[in-house]
Amino acid sequence: MEDIDAMFSDLLGEMDLLTQSLGEEIPPPAPLPNTKKEVSFTMDFANFNESLHELEDTDLDALMADLVADLSATEEKLTAEIQGLKAPSPPLPNLPPPPRDLSFPPAPYDSSSSSSSSSCRDSSSSLVSTSATSPLPPPQAGKPSKEDIEAQMKADKIKLALEKLKEAKVKKLVVKVLMNDGSSKTLMVDERQTVREVLDNLFEKTHCDANVDWSLCETNYELQLERTFEDHENMVEPLLAWTRDSENKVLFQERRDKFEVFKNPQNFYLWKKDKKTLKDMKDKDKELLIKENFCGPSIIVPDLEGVLYLKEDGKKSWKQRLFQLRASGIYYVPKGKTKSSRDLVCFVQFDNVNVYFGKDVKNRYKAPTDFCFVLKHPQIQKESQYIKYLCCDDDWTMRLWMTGIRIAKYGALLHGNYKAAEKKSVVSSAWTNRSTPSSSNQSTPSPTIRAKASSQSNGHASKPQPGSDHQDFGNLPPPPPPLNEILPPPSPDPVLPPPPPSLASKPSGPHRKQPSGFPPPPLGIDNNLPPPPLPPPIDEAPPDFLPPPPPNTGIGSFPPPPPNTGFGSLPPPPPPPPPPVSSLPPPPASFGGIKKSLHPPPQDPQFLPPPPPDPVFTSAGAPPPPPPPPPAFAATPRANARPAGSVKKMPPAPPKRTTPVAGGGGGGGDLMSELMLAMKKRSDH
Amino acid sequence: MAAWDLSVTVEDLGPDAPPVTISVASDLHVGGVIVKLVEKTQIKRDWSDHALWWDQKKMWLLRTAWTLEKYGIHADARLIFMPQHRPLKLDLPNGKTVRLRACFSDPVFQTVMGICRQLNIRHPEELSLLRPVEEKKKKKDKDLTEEIYDLTEVPLSSVSRPCLYNGMPAHFAESEKMEAVYKMLSITQTPPAPEVITKQYRPASVVDKAHINGRWLDSSRCLMQQNIQENDRLWLRFKYYTFYELDPKYDVVRLTQLYEQARWAILLEDIDCTEEEMMLFGALQYHISKVSQSEPQALSTNTAMDDLESALLSLEVKMEGESSSATDVLIKRSCVNVRFRPKRLTLKGYKQYWFKFQDTSIAYFKSKEESIGEPIQQINLKGCEVAPDVNVAAQKFLIRLLIPAPEGMNEVFLRCENERQYAQWMAGCRLASKGKSLADSSFQSEIQSIRSFLAMQRNNSGSSSNAASSDESINTHSLVSPRYHKKYKTKQLTPRILDAYQNVAQLSLSDALMRFLQIWQALPDFGLSYVVVRFKGSRKDEVLGIAPNRLIRIDLGVGDVVKTWRYNNMKQWNVNWDIRQVAIEFEGNVNIAFSCVTADCRIVHEFIGGYIFMSTRSREKSDVLNQELFHKLTGGHEAL
Repeated sequence: MEDIDAMFSDLLGEMDLLTQSLGEEIPPPAPLPNTKKEVSFTMDFANFNESLHELEDTDLDALMADLVADLSATEEKLTAEIQGLKAPSPPLPNLPPPPRDLSFPPAPYDSSSSSSSSSCRDSSSSLVSTSATSPLPPPQAGKPSKEDIEAQMKADKIKLALEKLKEAKVKKLVVKVLMNDGSSKTLMVDERQTVREVLDNLFEKTHCDANVDWSLCETNYELQLERTFEDHENMVEPLLAWTRDSENKVLFQERRDKFEVFKNPQNFYLWKKDKKTLKDMKDKDKELLIKENFCGPSIIVPDLEGVLYLKEDGKKSWKQRLFQLRASGIYYVPKGKTKSSRDLVCFVQFDNVNVYFGKDVKNRYKAPTDFCFVLKHPQIQKESQYIKYLCCDDDWTMRLWMTGIRIAKYGALLHGNYKAAEKKSVVSSAWTNRSTPSSSNQSTPSPTIRAKASSQSNGHASKPQPGSDHQDFGNLPPPPPPLNEILPPPSPDPVLPPPPPSLASKPSGPHRKQPSGFPPPPLGIDNNLPPPPLPPPIDEAPPDFLPPPPPNTGIGSFPPPPPNTGFGSLPPPPPPPPPPVSSLPPPPASFGGIKKSLHPPPQDPQFLPPPPPDPVFTSAGAPPPPPPPPPAFAATPRANARPAGSVKKMPPAPPKRTTPVAGGGGGGGDLMSELMLAMKKRSDH
Repeated sequence: MAAWDLSVTVEDLGPDAPPVTISVASDLHVGGVIVKLVEKTQIKRDWSDHALWWDQKKMWLLRTAWTLEKYGIHADARLIFMPQHRPLKLDLPNGKTVRLRACFSDPVFQTVMGICRQLNIRHPEELSLLRPVEEKKKKKDKDLTEEIYDLTEVPLSSVSRPCLYNGMPAHFAESEKMEAVYKMLSITQTPPAPEVITKQYRPASVVDKAHINGRWLDSSRCLMQQNIQENDRLWLRFKYYTFYELDPKYDVVRLTQLYEQARWAILLEDIDCTEEEMMLFGALQYHISKVSQSEPQALSTNTAMDDLESALLSLEVKMEGESSSATDVLIKRSCVNVRFRPKRLTLKGYKQYWFKFQDTSIAYFKSKEESIGEPIQQINLKGCEVAPDVNVAAQKFLIRLLIPAPEGMNEVFLRCENERQYAQWMAGCRLASKGKSLADSSFQSEIQSIRSFLAMQRNNSGSSSNAASSDESINTHSLVSPRYHKKYKTKQLTPRILDAYQNVAQLSLSDALMRFLQIWQALPDFGLSYVVVRFKGSRKDEVLGIAPNRLIRIDLGVGDVVKTWRYNNMKQWNVNWDIRQVAIEFEGNVNIAFSCVTADCRIVHEFIGGYIFMSTRSREKSDVLNQELFHKLTGGHEAL
């Protein structure tokens, strides 16, 4: 474990250096995409090591797998973007670039950041979709004038830069999700991920039936509250509101209530009718109800009105009031007034509150019944006068209100969620069936991980996050773009790519190879070069879902396709376009000038360490405590050896590492290998 | 066959001209009569729109192939030869009047189609005509004669193919006068003066609301048959509250008029809403009127470029913000001291601190000099509630922040020194509460809107006001129903509307219009047309509410809905024209029958049939209206 500590302090040191160096150079606009990212490093190593302690072995393994997948996905993306960036060769965009030893179809120069980034973002759930959309030929090819193209390119670049800016700030959380059977799964959640995406991820991991009722719920231990997350919600946000020492939990459960209103809308919209009529409701009429209330120009909330018990303002007593639900909020009828709309008093509007189910209220608050729903601001985590408790006479009334409030609050989003969930559940069986076997035969980048992460569905990646771990590559000739979905296939390339330098100990497949034609991380200087990107782990999507390799790829000569499909068709980056565009990577030879960007960002900066006290979930927002004192550790000479100023001038030569990471300071490479190493050591104890 | 004399009044000869007498035989067809007439008048003109109206029988002789015998016309028939399209004064939902030529011979349903084509309103089936409420004559005379927008010059043929020219139908592009008409149709009216609202008739009860529905014209009969004369005044209104595929792109006029109808329904309390909803409606009206005045009609701004520009803008700001770590945007723009008071700690008095805005947080320091170091406290405003507490006259500029924390909400007041500072910090707080930083492109416009609202308050409250830019000085009483005129003074009302305004201030014009309509449509009573009825077997009057998807029965004693029937459970409905009773059968052997008190049973029948017709519309056939079906569903089977 000390190893890990040491490693992190090392990383931390590097980060410090990095940030220091930032102040000194303000990047010129053109190379923005890369430099900006450094600027926006938001690393929080606080407690990383501590939280690693807390994690159990399996968790750690799973995490590693996630991480690896993540990193490489990021890399894929980055390279793809770089490709996209430099692809348009201004003079004649639709002409193939001058042929070299490989001929290269015009790169998709429409790969505006938006398209590529979005596709990457979704890619874990379905690589299919990304591949389907991205390789489309540029729509505007050939038509616009040169100026237009240039303007467009510039616009694209700026967009791309902005996009990256955003990415660089992405936080991640390690979330422990409790399963029904009492076990738990740990996964990494990116702050941009929705609950839906996390659910999909969990479906893959658990191989459950993926029906629409599966939900993620949060429980608040201190307040004894419970809430089902809505599928469209951001996953991380509510978790960030938890206090550091909270015993809140995230549950993965089937919740009928989540979408009941779409299965039996009559129970909510026609609840006044007698039970029998409701039961015998024809499907056609149900559909009509949904259409009327959810598909019209405005969402209609169920017509709810009734006497409820209220406890608010921190008072202990419960008083009865006649409440009414409207699209604009909950109202009550003041004493001595009529029910007419204009006399209603607004009790609460929904912008800033969520609705929770309150447990055990009879005991805790002397509530008249146990059918209690609670309205509070999501940030409130402890007893407060700002929490409103409402008690209903029976369970059904409570459900009616809670659902009604959700409809008023979320409106059409709920319906969208339901349709998405329904779709998912339909495909899911086929999906899981297919993905299970395939994921197992995919190579993971590291044998170490492979060996250890056996228990769970093997490092099923959380969404590959287009990440920032590669900021420092920005100015370099692009590393091999593994994202073949985005790029056109290389024309037959006679030269077999060299074996992947990184993790070379076990090349798991030809697909890892870098296509030779790409502006090489030249041999001479490879010490100073970032390592080629980690081989993308393919496990987040089974190969069957990948588009078949386009004809013409070099794979013919490669060993077996299965793992290959994904990456065999690695397109080489476009040959350097004739007239240098401002942000084009400089020719490899001129490395001196860009060395500054080479220092290895020690690890994926987005990866946020879990805070120690709470193994379940860790928040990213905590202020970083001082770095743990670096214990002596063989593998950390870099940080120590390097004076602050020199960082950018001289990327550290890779210290001796047990896991070879060729080229030294690669984005996630160091971290990964060191982590692995550490883990290995630990298991050796 | 024997010839006999038929005398026909030819309108074009003038009111005093004697009838033209022609010699006809009973087997002469109507077309032949017209030919003879035209020859006799010796006037050369286009007679194609003319037809014969049989006055005693109240019918047009439109089948020119029918013989006089077949029509049953004898020498004593009073026939008038006149154009079918005649001028009509139409009162539009926005309160303006247009004069246009409408068809007096087609069923009203088709007449409305023709009118809507001229006005460029899609889905005419949702609208209809009704007789106006009689106005008290004496008052009317005093008023200046209202402006009438004249569309009678529009050649009828040119309207049939609506093609756009300069973003409007070609017939509006012909002259400046016509363009002005189109502007009136497509741009929302400025909020009416509070007195105008107060003066208008407001229904006080559901029974009052029922009366208006007795005025709808019969869709299956023509205007002449319903005793509408040339140049009479009628109201054009949306009758069926199911608005098919509202699209801001194609429905400029439709959307505007619908908004106007909704706005008036709310201002006149035709539809009830809560105070909070009223404030939101008020805020939207304010925003819509502001945006529609400033926004040029050209919708063709390149949104992609705008995006990019705003992105660039925020990029610049971000770079500044991030490269030089400690500074922040607002500080750069305005060095400010904001006073600060955590409520619970001190009851009185504010302490002065140096405040800094960064991303979505505010931090405060003892003084400016110390602002490089650690702040005393940093507060993240994301998700907090921001409320103004402002009194311009008293120079009180407070921002009340309700900041969520794990323990509950913390109430914090920021006191600003002047309007300018207040506007900036208020804008910053609002953006931050929504998770946006000051770098957001909406920051400046947010400041603007806050300031314009402050200006409003100043004008309202101040005797000192020298009527600053007049377009910003809307009286907030113009935005709410008269009930709130009594309840709140304008300076009390303004902050409340401002409060609601912050959620809508960034909407584009069409989004704001759509939002207004959405909130209107989400009101519980939306879409209800009331009729007072007497249910079979009941001895008292009750109210039947007719909604797009259901009928409701309202007990006047309780004032509450006692029963709901949905159309999709309806098996059939019948009208017994002899005893004027509507009978409806629902699934599960539910039968109801009622006679109508405040409206003819034809009107109820037409409403129900009309809504059923509306529900049959679908995208595939949306361009062709199935008139036959409409008449089948709504047409009375009254003996003619």
